[in-house]
Amino acid sequence: MLLIESDGKELFKAHGIPVAPSFLMESAEDECGPLSGAGAGQWVVKAQVPVGGRGKAGGIVRASSEREVRAAVRAMLGGRLKGHEIKACLVEQAVSGQEHYLAVVVDPGRGGIRLMYSREGGVDIESVAKEEGKVFQEAMALDRGLFDQALEKLSAWIEDENAEPIVACARKLGAMFFELGLLVAEINPLFVDAGGRVLAGDAKVVIDLNAMERTPGLMDMLREHQAWYPDAWRKIQEDFDFIEIDAQGSIGLITTGAGLSMMLLDELIARGARPFNFADVRTGQMRGDPARLLTMFGWLKKASGLRVVLINVFAGITDLEEFALTLAKALDRSPDWNLPIVARLIGNNEERACAVLQGRAGRIWIEPDLEKAMDLAVELGRAA
Amino acid sequence: MLHTLDQHTPVLIQGITGRMGRFHTGLMRKYGTNIVAGVSYRGTDTEQDGIPVYASCGDALRDHRIVASVAMVPPLKVLPAVQEAVEAGIRLIVTIAEGIPVHDALKISRIVKEAGAIWIGPSTPGLVLPGKIKLGFLPDVAIAPGPLAVMSKSGTLSYEVCYRLRMAGVGQSAWVGVGGDPVKGTRFADLAQPLAAMPGTRGLLLIGEVGGDEEEAFAERLSAAGLDIPVFALIAGREAKEGVSMGHAGALVMGDTGSMASKTRALEAAGVHVYRSIGDLTKSLPGLLRVEAAPRGGLSSTES
Repeated sequence: MLLIESDGKELFKAHGIPVAPSFLMESAEDECGPLSGAGAGQWVVKAQVPVGGRGKAGGIVRASSEREVRAAVRAMLGGRLKGHEIKACLVEQAVSGQEHYLAVVVDPGRGGIRLMYSREGGVDIESVAKEEGKVFQEAMALDRGLFDQALEKLSAWIEDENAEPIVACARKLGAMFFELGLLVAEINPLFVDAGGRVLAGDAKVVIDLNAMERTPGLMDMLREHQAWYPDAWRKIQEDFDFIEIDAQGSIGLITTGAGLSMMLLDELIARGARPFNFADVRTGQMRGDPARLLTMFGWLKKASGLRVVLINVFAGITDLEEFALTLAKALDRSPDWNLPIVARLIGNNEERACAVLQGRAGRIWIEPDLEKAMDLAVELGRAA
Repeated sequence: MLHTLDQHTPVLIQGITGRMGRFHTGLMRKYGTNIVAGVSYRGTDTEQDGIPVYASCGDALRDHRIVASVAMVPPLKVLPAVQEAVEAGIRLIVTIAEGIPVHDALKISRIVKEAGAIWIGPSTPGLVLPGKIKLGFLPDVAIAPGPLAVMSKSGTLSYEVCYRLRMAGVGQSAWVGVGGDPVKGTRFADLAQPLAAMPGTRGLLLIGEVGGDEEEAFAERLSAAGLDIPVFALIAGREAKEGVSMGHAGALVMGDTGSMASKTRALEAAGVHVYRSIGDLTKSLPGLLRVEAAPRGGLSSTES
């Protein structure tokens, strides 16, 4: 999962990588402490959402006074950038200098890691890498000794007087990468000033949610900032996936399997519908307990635009009758549930599962054909 | 080594006495997999359902010839389990668990590579050669012998697709789940040639997801090597939310990297039939399979 910039920079600071003075604003009325005494500084206001290309999308704005800072924050907060609600802005002192690139990343193709550096940062590194000799890249196995050797090669590659501070920075970035079990630790741009001082202009840090048990510090960070990572925090809390896709969506999904659920999103949207969420319920873990379904009902009830719920379970292994009984139990405990449900259940014990649900009063449509189930959900999602 | 597997291949289950281990061992045996031994890390068991149980892979290998292992252990136990299996001399290891730390997966990659073994996983339902052997828990309802070689990041999406293709009369020559994690033992590109070479294969289906560059790397391999069978692809995640892992740790889009556009572009340039929906794929694919397998040895096919 990609951290928002300010959390990435907190990690940088903790590992000795310099960043510009900054503060967070979660409201346009928040204190601007460091601004008032700073005189005629230049500031950059940055939307704190975990996506690339924020600049082009209007998520990064320059400001030269407190009034301009507040105006920029006011304009951004509550808005959305690539599906993420902007809940905070980072206000950072503007920095100048040469813009370089530095990263340590997992290299899935080779089953190893990669140290990368370029003098031409501040832009998409893929485009720079197309030109021969512009990017230093050293691939290696996940091994601290090999990483140290790569740093020596980097030092020789840079050649000039900047080699020492840049390699020192890369060493710190690598230490952080190993310690936290990261997928990506990227600084782009890495500012290098005339005096050879380096400073991280941005932070792209991708953490591994599966390694959180080993990194209690990261877990604390997510806990503290759970409002910024609602999808990841839900997963950590509940041990299943539920990702809000469209706050105004009309179709709620209670579905199993990440790939199939993603495909359903794609196909529903291609039909002109607006699914509210993505889900991977993991029915196999429920074992007859309706708690997980009740939790989802609770989230779905809060969605103001919701008109219908589509349930899709392909039960290769799990018992659909057990799932149906669990669903019935969850509905029994939700007397105020009033949305129609389209259930497509296929696999182990599907006949008995259908019998369980068909015997119930209430608006449950059982449809064994996925295409028809989607069509029906789309139709009910539209109905007034 | 895929083509060497069959109903006689001796298989070990690591974690055989766990709830999942025991359950799936039963189902695999029912399918016809030759499970000759199990390993239990509780250390007290000697036998389960008629299968001898050992305290380590090394102990099991002293009494049995074992070619493949299925590790049914919790995510943080996968690294030591694979290490043990490789050291004991097992050549093929399938790891089912979802939720392995990526840095563990990198360590496993290195161990497996240095030993010259093959690792399928993590986060995979496993593989099946229909009618011969199943390692993992791909659902029987979707499996039938046939002409299509299948490889998939997602379990469920492949179940749905293979089930509907089976209903349309198209079964599989082999079906491998590569898993939904970013770092894995066997990637799409690694499987292009082995799967195409499976006897009776008349088409190759890739079921991918946004995130990472595996589909792009496969396209590159395909362009370089070329296969004499049609290749099909279905990619999920057009509408994925950027910066967030969509259920699978590997399904993470950041900017253009890992995007649907990048994957579709690369695959189409390599001559792959790329579909936008399950329905389109299941309607079109059966008619596009190569009409008859070319006899081995390079003679041209007799298309009618």
